[in-house]
Amino acid sequence: MAIHDQGYRRYGGHREPHGTAWTVIAMAGLRAVFRRRALLAVLLFAWAPFFVRAVQIYAAANFPQAKFLAPTADTFRQFLQQQGIFVFVVSVFVGAGLIANDRRANALQLYLSKPLTRADYVAGKAAILASLLLFVTWVPALLLLVVQMAFAGNLTFLRDHLYLFPAVTVFAFLEVTMITFAMLALSSLSRNSRFVGIMYTAFLFFSQAIVAVLAVVTGGTSLSWISFSADLTQIGDAIFHLPLHYDMPWPVALLMVLGLMAASCGVLAWRVRGVEVVT
Amino acid sequence: MGPRTGLDGRTPFWTAAVRVFDLSLGEMLWSRRTILLLLLVGAPVVLAIAIRLLQAFGLPGMQVQGVRVAGPDLFGVIIWVLFIRFVVPVLGVFYGTALIADEVDDRTITYLFTRPIPRGAVLVGKYLAYLACTALITLPAVAVVYFVIVPPGGSIAATFPKLVVDLGLIAAGLAVYGSLFAFIGAWLNRPLIVGLVFAFGWEPIVMAVPGYLRHLTIAYYLQALVPQAMPQDSTVSLLQSLFRDLPTPATSLVSLAVIGVGFLILAARVVSSREYVLEP
Amino acid sequence: MSTTAAAPAAVIQTERLSKWYGQVIGLNDVTVAVPPGVTGLLGPNGAGKSTFLKLITGQLRPSQGTVRVLGEPIWNRPALFRRIGFCPEQDAFYDRMTGLDWVAALLRLNGLDEPASREAAARALEVVQLTDAAGRKIGGYSKGMRQRLKLAQAIAHDPELLVLDEPLSGLDPIARRHAIRLIRDWGRNGRSLIVSSHVLHEVEMMTSDILLINNGRILAEGNVHQIRDLIDEHPHTVHIRADQPRGLARLLLAADDVLSLKFGDGSVTVETAKPDVFYGRLTALAASGEAGPIHEVTSPDDNLQAVFRYLVK
Repeated sequence: MAIHDQGYRRYGGHREPHGTAWTVIAMAGLRAVFRRRALLAVLLFAWAPFFVRAVQIYAAANFPQAKFLAPTADTFRQFLQQQGIFVFVVSVFVGAGLIANDRRANALQLYLSKPLTRADYVAGKAAILASLLLFVTWVPALLLLVVQMAFAGNLTFLRDHLYLFPAVTVFAFLEVTMITFAMLALSSLSRNSRFVGIMYTAFLFFSQAIVAVLAVVTGGTSLSWISFSADLTQIGDAIFHLPLHYDMPWPVALLMVLGLMAASCGVLAWRVRGVEVVT
Repeated sequence: MGPRTGLDGRTPFWTAAVRVFDLSLGEMLWSRRTILLLLLVGAPVVLAIAIRLLQAFGLPGMQVQGVRVAGPDLFGVIIWVLFIRFVVPVLGVFYGTALIADEVDDRTITYLFTRPIPRGAVLVGKYLAYLACTALITLPAVAVVYFVIVPPGGSIAATFPKLVVDLGLIAAGLAVYGSLFAFIGAWLNRPLIVGLVFAFGWEPIVMAVPGYLRHLTIAYYLQALVPQAMPQDSTVSLLQSLFRDLPTPATSLVSLAVIGVGFLILAARVVSSREYVLEP
Repeated sequence: MSTTAAAPAAVIQTERLSKWYGQVIGLNDVTVAVPPGVTGLLGPNGAGKSTFLKLITGQLRPSQGTVRVLGEPIWNRPALFRRIGFCPEQDAFYDRMTGLDWVAALLRLNGLDEPASREAAARALEVVQLTDAAGRKIGGYSKGMRQRLKLAQAIAHDPELLVLDEPLSGLDPIARRHAIRLIRDWGRNGRSLIVSSHVLHEVEMMTSDILLINNGRILAEGNVHQIRDLIDEHPHTVHIRADQPRGLARLLLAADDVLSLKFGDGSVTVETAKPDVFYGRLTALAASGEAGPIHEVTSPDDNLQAVFRYLVK
């Protein structure tokens, strides 16, 4: 009779290929995030402007008196701009603690002692914030385009504004990528998520305030590239083929945004380590 | 000399508050968050120096329609836009919401709450430390900006009283915003978002809308005390200037005092009655 | 634990004390009177020890019931902390301060002036053997030093009642012995102390008066030996090493106080429900020599571990 070995055996089942570990971090992070009722309320409330716009589009399509409400390219541009408040709230609510809380709990050592690269870790964390930000920007904006086509009952608007689908996508992804990496970089600098939230607020609003002062001094907006939200606005205007808000070339704004992303990646490469030498 | 005690055996409220102030001031001043504070107040100083240098070299772009912006007017813009509408609320949110929350997160609150001192005194002591720390760094920065910006095209003797008023205004803003956010921090579990939405959402929007809602902001009362003309730098401020009906300085001062003291008392009461469960 | 007319007043008294966090019950209907002296609060992790200590130090408010410390309700009564010293479990300090400055600053909150607070702080640091490190920043202390520093701030103002939450955690063996001696001396000096731990033999070294807690409930309170006596539904185990274990066993089985026997190498292990009767018979047998030489009689039951195992099952 065969006697079976009841001792410890190595796992012989299926293993996911290398490089997919970031999905585990992302899913775990999203599950934790969705357990917070306050955040769910914010995410739901973030869709309120979508419904307002949908009503506007419906009215314009079905009531001749409401023709003045007809959407243009600027409507979708403005919608994305107005979602900025929810982008800010979600970024601070979710993003501030993404890496800071792990640093506080000394969890980076645990993560990086697994078969997980730093890139996997950062990608997983980035996926958490980026997916939520896209949920309040890209998804409702795209849906608004679909709603426009549905209520209009024809493809005239789409034919005349074919660039809107890629424009919405490019702008939303650019905005979300910039904010995600900036927030993660800030989060990696501290163990206190509250501190990170304030740093992010300072980074966002202070640069705007500086630009406002410089506008008074110079009488113009040529120095607006200092403010990253102004840079995003300028790029958005260019993408949507709208008149530019500021007196600065949009490639300068794009360069600033790309520079910020590069700097954020540099900070992350410096700060996300399993071992921290304290002198 | 034996311990100073009240009739009920605990250390008297203000003695305890002063001692918590002593303990907290050092912790606040020599912490990493002071770096952020220095960056926030240092940026306007750097900006002022940069503008001054560029104007001195007569570089184009530093003039509006061929005319250089006068020093006192520029100082007014910097005070209003950078300090009163940004630095002061941010410091209030940053420090005010964290007065007790940081001690809870760091799990050092136990040592303070197991001493024979009223819990409210802990909050008041830490609030005083916040006020001292932020005023110590912010007010000199404002003075530096003044002396850098004002002299060209402005008389120091003529504008010095405005500097004094501005310094008082900033100190009052730090005190009142700090008190409000101390209450929010004591009361709510997630005070930061609420504080930021109040300072950068509620106040700017409500200030642009006519009606009584503006009385539910702190900026409304601070605005009445600003000695300089308000800058018309954005649609919001333009709207604000159109719908401006400001209270008298006396009303503003009294209102700010009531708001400041009132929220501090409320915060002390919340801290006294709330239990803080530390995470393991 | 019996009370008589002359029994000293309890230092800690709880009446139907309960605490819950949402749907999680931390402490459940605890009615206990902790006498003066040294009392050990014993229980596994998650038993409710820390919740109990936080309730008696006024950090948490009872969801139900009452708690009185030194005769007075503790919640929101800061004046009582002049007479209470608390050493928390968590490792949390103002790392930028030196040990001396930190203890002195906390003493100033107790109402001492600057010179008196520094003097008292220095004395407390000397007691916990931290004098040499007093001028160094706490951030550079080892785990054991930080633990001793916590103890120092608890004793520095000479309280009547000390509440210690896992005070020996992180200490090396020498420091542990020193701390245990300090705790025993505290009790001998007429002051009271309640110390929590899940390390059974350490509590045994500090005191024989214990409170056993598990799942938020007090399982037993009193002298460890008295508690053992009360557990008469659990057989008492006696291990006997003798030259003739089988002969001894035959004689022991003659009476009805033996429940079971097991033979070992040169020994017999007996389970009895009547330990007093059994020991009497065994003594008589050993004296008469009827069962041959008996070399050793031990009872693995008569210690805290056995008591705890029985009660927590």
